[in-house]
Amino acid sequence: MSISEMSFFQRMVYIVQEYSGSLLKGAATTMVIALVCTALGCVIGFAVGIVQTLEPSKKDGLLRRSVLRIVKLILTSYVEVFRGTPMMLQAAFIYYGASQLFDINLGMWQAAVLIVSINTGAYMAETVRGGILSVDIGQTEGAKAVGMNHFQTMMNVILPQALRNIMPQIGNNLIINIKDTCVLSIIGTVELFFTFKSISGALYTYFEAATVILIIYFILTFACSRILRYLENRMDGPANFDLATTDTLAFTSGMNSYNPRKARKN
Amino acid sequence: MAEILRIQHLSKTFGTNQVLKDIDFQVNTGDVTSIIGASGSGKSTLLRCINLLEDPTSGQILFHGQNILDGGTEETAYRAKVGMVFQSFNLFSNHTVLGNCMLGQIKVLGKSKEEARSDALFYLDKVGMATYINAKPHQLSGGQKQRVAIARALSMQPEILLFDEPTSALDPELVGEVLDVMKALAKENMTMLVVTHEMSFARDISSHVVYMLDGKIEEEGESQQIFENPRSPHTKDFLSRFTGK
Repeated sequence: MSISEMSFFQRMVYIVQEYSGSLLKGAATTMVIALVCTALGCVIGFAVGIVQTLEPSKKDGLLRRSVLRIVKLILTSYVEVFRGTPMMLQAAFIYYGASQLFDINLGMWQAAVLIVSINTGAYMAETVRGGILSVDIGQTEGAKAVGMNHFQTMMNVILPQALRNIMPQIGNNLIINIKDTCVLSIIGTVELFFTFKSISGALYTYFEAATVILIIYFILTFACSRILRYLENRMDGPANFDLATTDTLAFTSGMNSYNPRKARKN
Repeated sequence: MAEILRIQHLSKTFGTNQVLKDIDFQVNTGDVTSIIGASGSGKSTLLRCINLLEDPTSGQILFHGQNILDGGTEETAYRAKVGMVFQSFNLFSNHTVLGNCMLGQIKVLGKSKEEARSDALFYLDKVGMATYINAKPHQLSGGQKQRVAIARALSMQPEILLFDEPTSALDPELVGEVLDVMKALAKENMTMLVVTHEMSFARDISSHVVYMLDGKIEEEGESQQIFENPRSPHTKDFLSRFTGK
């Protein structure tokens, strides 16, 4: 049976059977780029966000204050430029610019990871800044009052809470990255969208190929969103706590088992 | 008794608003000093200046005779010796009760985990919270949180403990448990500086009382003298609402 005689579903099955290798490879490439770049983007975002929330202390000299101001200015420009231009054009600009101006031929992976990471980093920087600002000032004062310095306060008290607060946004970024890696097809990265173009180009079955790949994208994003929600719940810790007691007659758990976040879900 | 803290000509200005005006007083080892006065009289700002949570505009804070505002003193090392208990508890939400009491000991004092744990347990037991070591702050009542906050401050083995309205955010029935802990500390000769609206604490527990009015110290002295024989008519007027005289 030739492909022109098949029904819609038969064509979809045919695509999945014939191109399972390319589809899997495309999906894997997409996921690897999305996961790696979201992770790297978080690292960049945390670094930038932390610097952005630094306040010069009174004791700092003029030099330190000016350096901090210049660094902040550079970081703000980075955030504004990469948030404010399409990633597709950034990809073309960096990929072709690197080869034309500096004679550097970026490989498919290097180009993809570089572009998506710094793009995600720009968004994450603002997210992290928001996350840090969302932590009550009393937490910082409590840490200062026991004698912790700025770095210790950040690492042990503020950032863990900021991270928890921005988890939904990190999930958002991961899902956006899974979908947005499709713009990398402009520089020839063989990811899921590139696979769509190859299949539809070879078989002239645009509708069926689009349906199959749409479903794959959805499975990927939905799975990620569920996994992240699970991680969030893990981060919240148990809703109950055990009383530390050696008296076996005393009841040992759940003095306060009410967690509003968990209760609302039920 | 040896002088531990001396405040000299301390002033604090927010914009054009002068909140503290030329404050002078001293605290000796073992003193329990209550700072009383109406809301907005600068009590909390004074306490926050002493712990450097606010930068004083001018004046000196002498800790064991050494001015800590001259830039030579390490801020964090000083804060480690001056404990603070806040009105809003400010327990670290991402740590358990035990973690709250261990973090500063490990990070600031450089103690080992085991040592920090046993010291934390000692002070948590003292405030009656030793069975709750695995709880997170949001799982506790206000009074329990404040007792943990006191244990956290004590775990640093400070030379002086500052209390910023420690019972003002608590339901009336929870005030007692926190005051009991503070009373016990006073009995052990812990040096304490307490901003409070609890007049019975100021009268019965503290050795000294500082009455503040509009950013100035209107009157200070031994608590018995202030309560029974206030010199200033303002002090008398303020206390009359409490003593009924």
